[in-house]
Amino acid sequence: MTPAFPPPAAAEPGPVAPGPATEAHLLLVEDDEVIRNTVRMLLERYGFTVSTAGDGLTGLELFRERRPDLLLLDVMLPELDGIGLCRRVRELSLAPILMMSARGDALDVVSGLEAGADDYVVKPCESAVLVARIRSLLRRASFAPVQRGAPGGAECETAEEDEPATLAFGDLTIDPRGMEVRRAGRLLALTPTELRMLLEFAASPGVVLERRTLLSRVWDHAWHGDTRVVDLHVQRLRAKIGAERIETVRGFGYKLRR
Amino acid sequence: MALRWRIAALVAAAACAVAAAVGVLVHRASQERELSQARDAARTTLERAAVVYARTGGVEGSGAALDAPGLPGGLRSLVRKGHQGTEFTTGPGGPAMWAARPADDQVLSVRVDLDTSMRDISALDTNIVLAGLIAAAVVLPLGVVTAGRMSRRLRAAAATARRIAAGDLDARISAGARPHDEIAEISGAVDSMAAALQERLLREQRFTADVAHELRTPLMGLVTAAELLPPGEAAGYVRDRVRVLSTLVEDLLEISRLDAGAERADLSPCPLGLLLTDAVARTALDVRLGTAQGTEEGAGDGPTVWTDPRRMERIVANLVLNAHRHGRAPVEVTVDPGGRTVTVRDHGPGYPDDLLRDGPQRFRTGARERGRGHGLGLTIALGQAEVIGAELTFRNAPGGGAVATLRLPAGPEAAPIHAPIHD
Repeated sequence: MTPAFPPPAAAEPGPVAPGPATEAHLLLVEDDEVIRNTVRMLLERYGFTVSTAGDGLTGLELFRERRPDLLLLDVMLPELDGIGLCRRVRELSLAPILMMSARGDALDVVSGLEAGADDYVVKPCESAVLVARIRSLLRRASFAPVQRGAPGGAECETAEEDEPATLAFGDLTIDPRGMEVRRAGRLLALTPTELRMLLEFAASPGVVLERRTLLSRVWDHAWHGDTRVVDLHVQRLRAKIGAERIETVRGFGYKLRR
Repeated sequence: MALRWRIAALVAAAACAVAAAVGVLVHRASQERELSQARDAARTTLERAAVVYARTGGVEGSGAALDAPGLPGGLRSLVRKGHQGTEFTTGPGGPAMWAARPADDQVLSVRVDLDTSMRDISALDTNIVLAGLIAAAVVLPLGVVTAGRMSRRLRAAAATARRIAAGDLDARISAGARPHDEIAEISGAVDSMAAALQERLLREQRFTADVAHELRTPLMGLVTAAELLPPGEAAGYVRDRVRVLSTLVEDLLEISRLDAGAERADLSPCPLGLLLTDAVARTALDVRLGTAQGTEEGAGDGPTVWTDPRRMERIVANLVLNAHRHGRAPVEVTVDPGGRTVTVRDHGPGYPDDLLRDGPQRFRTGARERGRGHGLGLTIALGQAEVIGAELTFRNAPGGGAVATLRLPAGPEAAPIHAPIHD
């Protein structure tokens, strides 16, 4: 992770960030001035461009105006709180959202994820953790199709040529190349995390995926993550693709119905 | 004995007792009436016979007899003394009422046969017993049903109370309108107790979360600001102390969450060996990991257990850290062949006596003068073990060294474990 100093972001913000080594534009919404400034300075060291806002409404305005690649926000905010902001942003964008919670209790975490956040960290966290999460989210947004086979993640782009162009599950069609998911012909708006998770399911339909497996493949968290993140994303995905499509295998995980 | 059967037995006993009492009273009253009627009839006949005897010197056609052979001895001797009287006998000739008086030097007596009346009375007795049995047969099922309903309600109340005690604070007894009685009262009392408990717990959890927010917010600023410092000796100290402070705050918050009962285990099937390898690796300490058969490098995937991997990892990490701080190398983590018991052992002086006696105490480290650690690690390990339903015990090995034993609970059900998917 060499914090190379790339040129400032182009005025026109694209929905897809360039590769992980290149800079991305982040919007940080945090009411505590010290945290706002120190986190901004730290992230700038890692090569990100950071805009900041001190309250929810300003954050929403800035988001509309600058279209950042990722939204980093505190849960407790004046004017419009993090949950509300999350929901409003989700109405107009699929950009990844990372929540920072200082309470870390179920109420904060669950309602944040329900409102549309992709992941969360509990304060205080060191910059290494924060940056790892941010990069993981940006990678998802700038998408690489799911790697088939070869566990351990060996890069094998050639394997994809044998695959059919689209996958169909009931009224659901997934086009892994065009990153398009349709339900009964209607295009679905999935966040990068939801799409990534759906592709994981689609890669092995009918097979139970453990929550930890999903956590490590989609979120790069390995053992330490919180599996509620998976549960809540499955809920959100179900709401979009149809609840019956993903089956819960109690205590183990989930599987996609063929 | 269950309440319903006790109540049913009581109802049956009451019905039988009432039937018996009524039977005895009715039997006596009717017998007395029959006897007094028979006595009157015998006397009347006797008087008439006496008049006939006085007139004719005989008793023909009067229904009486002179010196009758069956006359009871008591009555005979009474008459001999010059009195007249009556007596009821149940001799071989059947029940009868005798009346007798002297007639010159003979005994004039009348015998009224009571065979028919006595048979009527015993028929009446039979009817009363029958009526009693029928009444009991009707009352008993009613009693069973009523008592059954009561005992069901009481059982429901007890089951709910047990669920509340087990941590399900949403459990309530009341469902719909119930007759207003003592059971409704106790149900209401249990419900309001659960509500009060729930409210207190929620308040405590909210307070814990608020404390967390108030502590973590400045700490987050401190952590990031410390990272921004230019490298140097002083900056190193600051970062080190900030890390210690962060750990302490997190530990304290964890303990208060455990105390507030805010922690819920997130159980899933986990390969124990993998989990332990991972937990030990994360501590970055020197640990020998093996199965009970023999120490080997890594314990493989090991058996699959139902547990919360994050809490499990936390427990093991705390035990290992404690062993390194207060014990002496080598530190060994062992899984027994059954795959349910994990032991962490060091080769130091062992746990202090007060820890073995009272369990881990907060902020009380094994040796204050060594001044390392806050004395929270074992408390947390114990609390987390409780959350995942495991049992954590501390003892000293005979050959020296502290031994912490973690016994994991059996799985939730004998569900077929699908082949775990590894990546």
